[in-house]
Amino acid sequence: MKVVAKPIEVIAWFKTDGVPKPLRFRINDNDSKTVIKVDRIMQIDTEKLAGNPMIVFRCQSLINDVTKVYELKYELTTCKWILYKI
Amino acid sequence: MNDRLIFHIDVNSAYLSWEATYRKQHGEKVDLREIPSVVGGDEESRHGIVLAKSVSAKKYNIKTGETLYEARQKCPEIVIVPPRYWLYIQCSNAFNEILNEYTPKIQRFSIDESFLDFTGMQNLYPDYMNIAFTIKERIKKELGLTVNIGISNNKLLAKIASDFKKPDRVHTLFPWEIKEKMWPLPVEDLFMVGRATLPKLNKLNIFTIGDLAQYDLEILKSFLKSHGVLIWDYANGIDDSPVRKSNHIEMKGLGNSTTIPFDVEDKKTAHLILLSLTETVAARLRNSHNCCRVVSVSIRDTNFINYSHQRRLYCPTDCTNIIAEASYKLFNESWKGAPIRHLGIHLTELCTNEFYQYSLFDKNSIEKLRSIDKTIDEIRIKYGSKSVQRSSFLHSGIRNMTGGVGEEDYPVMTSLL
Repeated sequence: MKVVAKPIEVIAWFKTDGVPKPLRFRINDNDSKTVIKVDRIMQIDTEKLAGNPMIVFRCQSLINDVTKVYELKYELTTCKWILYKI
Repeated sequence: MNDRLIFHIDVNSAYLSWEATYRKQHGEKVDLREIPSVVGGDEESRHGIVLAKSVSAKKYNIKTGETLYEARQKCPEIVIVPPRYWLYIQCSNAFNEILNEYTPKIQRFSIDESFLDFTGMQNLYPDYMNIAFTIKERIKKELGLTVNIGISNNKLLAKIASDFKKPDRVHTLFPWEIKEKMWPLPVEDLFMVGRATLPKLNKLNIFTIGDLAQYDLEILKSFLKSHGVLIWDYANGIDDSPVRKSNHIEMKGLGNSTTIPFDVEDKKTAHLILLSLTETVAARLRNSHNCCRVVSVSIRDTNFINYSHQRRLYCPTDCTNIIAEASYKLFNESWKGAPIRHLGIHLTELCTNEFYQYSLFDKNSIEKLRSIDKTIDEIRIKYGSKSVQRSSFLHSGIRNMTGGVGEEDYPVMTSLL
């Protein structure tokens, strides 16, 4: 996995336990828009680097017929999602 | 008092580490700590000095406080990042939250350092080295920062110990280690020995902390007065100040000042800047429930010549208008005509604002002034400092309130342990 840190648009499911579950996300490149469905969430961690809380999701999806593992990050203070590593 | 156990925890190049971790968290590939980099103010508005530097910037002999221009001359490829005070406050809070899990007795000494009191906790933490390493590693893992921990049985020695070798270390400096670890250090490493005291000490043939500790106290007293006694005590590791819950000590005065982005050449603009400083400082004065009796104005001109002028008011006051008027008068009396770079207002001789002494010669109704001040303060607290402003600031290019770092609750440095 490589760090890409791309801001993304996300549809997430907020469960009663307070943890959001990303369902699908969209990467807006210059002219193309790619929607990726999150097939499986493998691990959920929280980090608090620099005192800034983020939830880190390690997920897996089928992208162009290849199974890929990647990391999404949700920044609690700004409610922004980023595709952190892929 | 000798069986106290005090930790001093200090974040290594705090501003820079926080900025670097924040950037890494957002996916930046280079770590600012590993390249020559500094956190620096905005050069456009003439706040261009080095606020913090990385270890590799230190190798180029870049010093905190020098101008970014000098820094660039020493190292042309240096990376300069702007300061983000909200981030520092957030980091500092997270840092103290972790410390709070270990002991309730914490003193936040400044934004990046705290004293922890572990006195009488031998049963809970049998090995103090162990706990120090646990704290250090936890902060590194959770917050991504390296810290230095100094351990001793008073605050002064703990603080000096944490300054020994950086980064990411634990040091002890107990009284029996003073001779060996502290005395060979140059005297300017001692807390409260700064650039004003240093030449005086050098003149007395004092170059190391050991020299100072063994010096005749009476001679020192005659040269440096009470400050001499203080630093002599410190050189001998004597300090019994408690770990205070808050840094709040009875305030003797308060002030705000600002470096102006342009040179001020006329009275009108200078008055406007004084007014905007007064708005800040008077609001702080009222917030502390005090009135002031002495107003002082300080001026720094473009030749870096500083001077100030002060006056006692007939009656103590907390009204923005009255303080502003006094500051205009002081300014008019003292300004020598050279273009101005920096202006400041300081208020001293504080007394409670529970009651207010009227005078026969008050121009306006004090009651009215105080009630409008109170209302404006409340509006600004609720809706922000820009919600109400005087019309004289419109289109003037000057902010309606200046002074301070622009963030509230910023724990500032203090010279008192």
